[in-house]
Amino acid sequence: MDFVGKRFWFFIISLLVITPGIIFLILAPGLNPGIDFTGGSSMTLRFSNDSNINQEQVRDQLFALSYEEATVQNLGENSFFVRTRELDEVAKDALVTNITSSLDEGAENVLQGFDLVSPIVAQETVMNAFWAIIAAAIGIFIYIWWAFRNVPSPLRYGLAAIVALIHDTIIVIGIFAILGELMNMEVNTMFLIALLTVIGYSVNDTIVVFDKIRENVLIHSNRAFPEIVNLSISETISRSLNTSFTLLITLVALILFGGATIREFLFVLLIGVAAGTYSSVAIASQVLVSWDQKSIGIPFRNRTVT
Amino acid sequence: MRRNARALITIALIITICAGIVGFQKISIGAFNRGGDTPLGLSLGLDLQGGSHLVYEANLVDPTTGEKQEISKDQMQSLSHTIDRRINSSGLGEPIIQILGEDRLLVQLPGIRDPGRAKALIGETARLEFRHRTLNAPPQPIESIKPENIKSIKIDELREDGKIFSELDEKDKDDQTQELTSFPAVIVEFDETGSNNFETLFLNLSLSLEKAATEAAAGNFGSPADQIHITIDGDEELRFSTLANSIRKIGDTPRFGIAFPSDDTGMDGNIAVEDAKKKLGNNPEIEFAIKKGFFDEDIGLSGDDLKSAYAGQHQASGVPIVNIEFDDRGTRIFGELTTDIFAKQEETGVRDQIAILLDGQELISPVVNSPITAGTAVIQGGDFTMTRVKDLALLLESGRLPVPIELIQERDVDAILGADSLRKSVAAGFIGLGLVLIFMTLYYRVPGVVASVALIIYAVIVLAIFKIIPVTLTLSGVAAAILSIGMAVDANILIFERMKDELRAGRTMLSAINIGFNRAWPAIRDGNVSTLITCAILYWFSDQLGATIVQGFAVTLVIGVAISMFSAIVVSRTLMRVVALSPLSRKINLFTPTGAGNITNRESV
Repeated sequence: MDFVGKRFWFFIISLLVITPGIIFLILAPGLNPGIDFTGGSSMTLRFSNDSNINQEQVRDQLFALSYEEATVQNLGENSFFVRTRELDEVAKDALVTNITSSLDEGAENVLQGFDLVSPIVAQETVMNAFWAIIAAAIGIFIYIWWAFRNVPSPLRYGLAAIVALIHDTIIVIGIFAILGELMNMEVNTMFLIALLTVIGYSVNDTIVVFDKIRENVLIHSNRAFPEIVNLSISETISRSLNTSFTLLITLVALILFGGATIREFLFVLLIGVAAGTYSSVAIASQVLVSWDQKSIGIPFRNRTVT
Repeated sequence: MRRNARALITIALIITICAGIVGFQKISIGAFNRGGDTPLGLSLGLDLQGGSHLVYEANLVDPTTGEKQEISKDQMQSLSHTIDRRINSSGLGEPIIQILGEDRLLVQLPGIRDPGRAKALIGETARLEFRHRTLNAPPQPIESIKPENIKSIKIDELREDGKIFSELDEKDKDDQTQELTSFPAVIVEFDETGSNNFETLFLNLSLSLEKAATEAAAGNFGSPADQIHITIDGDEELRFSTLANSIRKIGDTPRFGIAFPSDDTGMDGNIAVEDAKKKLGNNPEIEFAIKKGFFDEDIGLSGDDLKSAYAGQHQASGVPIVNIEFDDRGTRIFGELTTDIFAKQEETGVRDQIAILLDGQELISPVVNSPITAGTAVIQGGDFTMTRVKDLALLLESGRLPVPIELIQERDVDAILGADSLRKSVAAGFIGLGLVLIFMTLYYRVPGVVASVALIIYAVIVLAIFKIIPVTLTLSGVAAAILSIGMAVDANILIFERMKDELRAGRTMLSAINIGFNRAWPAIRDGNVSTLITCAILYWFSDQLGATIVQGFAVTLVIGVAISMFSAIVVSRTLMRVVALSPLSRKINLFTPTGAGNITNRESV
């Protein structure tokens, strides 16, 4: 199969996936940041099994308690995720007691979880997250540069891996901007961990293809570079697909049967694994080729057919 | 073959050990203790067992300028000690306290029922007081027991098991084997109120005695225990004081027996039953009073008057000591206090003490060797170790300069939610693992079965390592563990794909396996190293914040990645070699993936 010759189409597909996300990101409100990034309180309320309370009732009750800013998300199984401004102990108790007595009289243990993040911590989290991602990218770049020191222009491999990594990150963030708008999905610390995991996975996957290129460049030194890349992709494609397939099976199982608590986290991984697999074939390797052909700006001039 | 046999034995040994570690609920070898009542004895994080995760920031503001002050390491240490002590003594459970960065404190309260109360305790500012402790205070009448609460008073022999000798049946009386001693005692019968109140009194006396005994056992300057002081106004007056250990409740009756002290120190000690009965007469009246073992007087000396407290060693003898230094006001009050105590000592021989209390709890109560008017003093103790004096100094410091703290992050998880998450993630993990094994076997056939076995071995080793270190398993850790299964699968897939290439090139099974493993290694290594780099960065990132969720994820992933490399390179390879030497290896179709049976020349891609 000719992968390298289709690189123009790969870039177009990526652009098509990325663009809507970017539009949602730029248009207000963009990502829907959770309390980890804004500060405030959030809690999980679980009412009794036969209570039949809906999201609207919880929201109205919060409104009546003058928590106009509160957001409510139905987690299923009579559980709700409620986000409010920063609550102290007294306010928290009052809120829970009030909601319980007016919506589900006599229910016990309604407050299942409570989180509080002060604005200082939230601000630090944002900064730390930013630096963590930059640091991860630099660390990985340097490692790949070093690991590929035996092939011509190792720097390119490092940079191409970073391009793929940024590509995957933008896809995940973009999709979350859309989901934040449509489904009120929030971005929190777990989202960041997931993003870093995606970065790790994306690079892991890219390296497998690059490793094959590294090997083939040395074996077939008389062949043209695009041809070598194409051969390497062909030789690794079934491994790439199988690996992401097994990972996707595990993730889907976790999403379906695991608790609601880490569902968003797993969702990020799901998108990220798909994007990571795609990008190692369609972005990282193709960037190498385009760079080699000096055709980054005009990717289809030097169309190569092997 | 011999090499394979050796490798197989090593693997079998590792599996047996790991399975043993996972299988036994509790492991304890000497001081090494692992496991517990949790599933498989793994240590669970707050999100899986329920509990509170609190991050506090210390805000030390200069009282005069209003500027934020730097907080020293010692201050953070003492803050952590204070919180630890408060929560531990409240019976709310054992906190895990960690200092984060310069001025933050992470307090984790696993399985706590009442986070509100714990938070109130943590938020209190420390209160350090120095009090004048007078030993053996005069008796104070007990108001709660009135004459009308008392129904009868008599004298009898009280046996130490709480039975009255004259009420015993003959058999019991003659039974010498019991070796129970009897003492002359006053037996008082109360009405219900009286009985209840006396029981409370009895309990308090017992507590005080217990405390004094512990102090004495620890070799502290202990203070004497409280005593009950009894005055019986009969034909003659009968007076004595005694400790809780001479009081017995008599069966289920509202009666209590109080034995006469056996020594001569109590005023009417060593009295015989007949004499006591004579003194009691026909119409006795009894009065109870409590004789406190000590009495603390507030002299207005507090932590505010302390200039510093630090651990050190005595210049001459080198024994560990605590140095304390007072400011001007403190020096004056402390000078007066020590002068008074010393003067009383010289005059009457009674040694009063200085009680040092933190949050109403006694830290230490030293005696005075000489008047101290210079404002600097040292505290010595027979049992003082360097650790003890450091702790003491830190506690004194925490009361000297109470550091106000502010709650900046909180995460509470109810135990029910935690258990629910645990159950669901474990179920999901099994389902996921099962699906992967099925896929691997169906697609890769024999190598797939080998990989599946290797994966199960991998899972057992990972669990064993989690238990031994121990790694606290959090929800994100479970996610990481499952992700690392993916990594382990990936390593296997890489190897099999390479092996397949070699088989296609016409190599023999054994050499295809060897070359396949060698060729796959650089990709596995580089891929895993990049994951490890990400983990290291995640760890650093979480360390800044005390984000235990992130940390748990990173640690779990590192272990998972490391073991996955081992499982792919060592376990899968050895098993594959063994399979290759078996008759199975002749059926090449069993070693190539479904649909790839027709081996083609790769040049025709």
